[in-house]
Amino acid sequence: MIIEMARMRIAGPSRQLEPVLRLLQDVGDLHLIAPAPPGAAPARPEGVSPRFARNLQRMLGDVDRVLAALPAGAAHASRSAPPDELPHAARRVRRLWRELGALMRARTELAEQQALLLQYRAFFEAFRPLLERPPRWPDARASFVLLRAGAGASVAELESKVRAVAGARLEMHARPLPSGEIAVLMLAAGSAAKQVEELLSAARLDELPAPRGLAEPDLLRAMPALRARIDEVEAQLRANDARRADIAALVRPELEALQAQLHDLLLLAEARAQVRTGELLFVVEGWMPEPAVAPLRARVAHELGAEIVVAQVGTEPWTRADAPVALANPRLFRPFELITRAFPLPRYGSIDPTPFVAVFFPMFFGLMLGDVGYGLLLAAIAAVLRWRSRPGSTLRAVAEMGLGCALFAIAFGVLFGEFFGNLGAVFGMHPLAFDREKSLAPFLIFTVALGAVHVVLGLVLAVIGAWRQGHRRQAVGRGLTIAMIALTALALLAAFQVLPARFFTPAAIAVLIAFPVLIALEGIIAVVELMSAFGHILSYARIMALGTASLMLAIIANRMVGALGSALVGVAFALLFHLVNLAIGLFSPTIHALRLHYVEFFGEFYSPGGATYRPLAHWRAAPRSAAT
Amino acid sequence: MDLIWIVFASAAAVAITALATAWAQGRIGPAVAASLAEKPELATTAIIMVAIPETMVILGFVVAVMILLRAGG
Repeated sequence: MIIEMARMRIAGPSRQLEPVLRLLQDVGDLHLIAPAPPGAAPARPEGVSPRFARNLQRMLGDVDRVLAALPAGAAHASRSAPPDELPHAARRVRRLWRELGALMRARTELAEQQALLLQYRAFFEAFRPLLERPPRWPDARASFVLLRAGAGASVAELESKVRAVAGARLEMHARPLPSGEIAVLMLAAGSAAKQVEELLSAARLDELPAPRGLAEPDLLRAMPALRARIDEVEAQLRANDARRADIAALVRPELEALQAQLHDLLLLAEARAQVRTGELLFVVEGWMPEPAVAPLRARVAHELGAEIVVAQVGTEPWTRADAPVALANPRLFRPFELITRAFPLPRYGSIDPTPFVAVFFPMFFGLMLGDVGYGLLLAAIAAVLRWRSRPGSTLRAVAEMGLGCALFAIAFGVLFGEFFGNLGAVFGMHPLAFDREKSLAPFLIFTVALGAVHVVLGLVLAVIGAWRQGHRRQAVGRGLTIAMIALTALALLAAFQVLPARFFTPAAIAVLIAFPVLIALEGIIAVVELMSAFGHILSYARIMALGTASLMLAIIANRMVGALGSALVGVAFALLFHLVNLAIGLFSPTIHALRLHYVEFFGEFYSPGGATYRPLAHWRAAPRSAAT
Repeated sequence: MDLIWIVFASAAAVAITALATAWAQGRIGPAVAASLAEKPELATTAIIMVAIPETMVILGFVVAVMILLRAGG
């Protein structure tokens, strides 16, 4: 539901503006708007100097950069007191950034060097035992070549060519690297080294050069230097990290406090632009949730005294189009606000569809997946995601929606008697409602009927919304559309003898009478809307189509066990196919359940365009985890 | 002979609508990808835009099923 908002006006002597704004920031409930100038009063917007705001922004940029350069650490529950003097703090942050910037540049360079050296090390590790034994020829020359991944066949060809020129004066070894490439080492006696080199050059195989910074051109002799350099780089990186960790331990709490303080100051500066001040008085206006009005009044009276006036302004219901929108739903429905919020927010005074989404979205998903086995797997995935996510994060909401969808999938799985397709029959599972494999027509009728219920519900919400906003004619028109859908359904049921045939004629006559009335009420566009409502109802047939496709894929997966000769291969293929079906079964029903809501359901009643409720409050750092 | 025509008709119901869906999605996809590159916040609209033509093939599938059911398949 959309929280009921109260329009507030707070006024008082100009000298009290600062404490009032700070109190409002502490309370964190008032969404500020610029008040209309009262008549010809010499009111002007209060503000801060652009130079001050620029300085704050610059300082905040420095603080953010320094914090980003510090190694990640635990969040500090108790922050140190923010520095009193901002100019002093600004100079200190600038000094810190100079040191940390240099450390970060050095770290990047060292990390690049390390990555390169480690590539060489992987190469040498492959041949370490060979290189560490005494050389077969005192004047041996080592050649190193790197062949691309998958070039295994080229190794034998290369060996036959080098043997042809060097004969027994050569040892050649090839080893696969973790990267998939093939490392080739050729140890040739001094007398054969030149011929080997020429052959490699002719074959356009480049020898691996010694890494930059290591003076020895022969990799065989460069190895000890290489190892020493790797150790040295690692030590320098450790020292760099240790220094940054020391700085972090010293300054992180102070910097985090400063960051919060700067953000708060900037928020206050933005808020001041919404305040009107005269020579003696200031006026602040805004919106806040109705239940928060009394506590605000009490707090203002207690902390700032009677000279600050807190008044509630005008409350004509459902016509305050500029009121911001805040959604508040029961705990069980709250994760589904994510689906509503993916759309522009509903306009203030219209209907928040979240409670309906929370019921129908997992229901549609469950009807499409409809399998106990897949439902249990989805529940396990959702439970893990929920456990790994932070409260209030997007991932937590997705995990909780996943749990709801899994419950519906399991419930419908029981009704359809499905456990990984038809595997449930082995354990004695039988359809309680109908068998989706054989009863295509009942499933189709059920889904279209469900679509009719969903679309009619959307139209009922449209009637309520239009009536609340005073659009009575539109409300009656929508009501007539509902009646026409119901009468058409009645006529069809009578025509197909589901209901007694005597209902057909009165229902058809009623439709014919209602039709011109609908056009008279809403114009010719009503015909298009009526047709589109019928189209929307038929669109729910996708639930049956996707559900049947999912079941058929599962059955095919089960048939693989006996169809591929070996039972082991069959089971492996069946598992793979079930895995693919699970992936499709999670993705496709989600997309189509979303589409049924956004296009078919929301299309009937949803009025987007609500402004987001953004109260003046203290800044809060975003969680550092990726699970947001 | 009748059976051949029934099977052919139901296959055509799916095939023609699948081709139509593919053609529509083939045109919508690049446009949506280009829009998302500039405005990632349009992701929801993009999903809907790409999913809308799928109605054709789904209804084609439903028609195919009805043809088979009417034929006693």
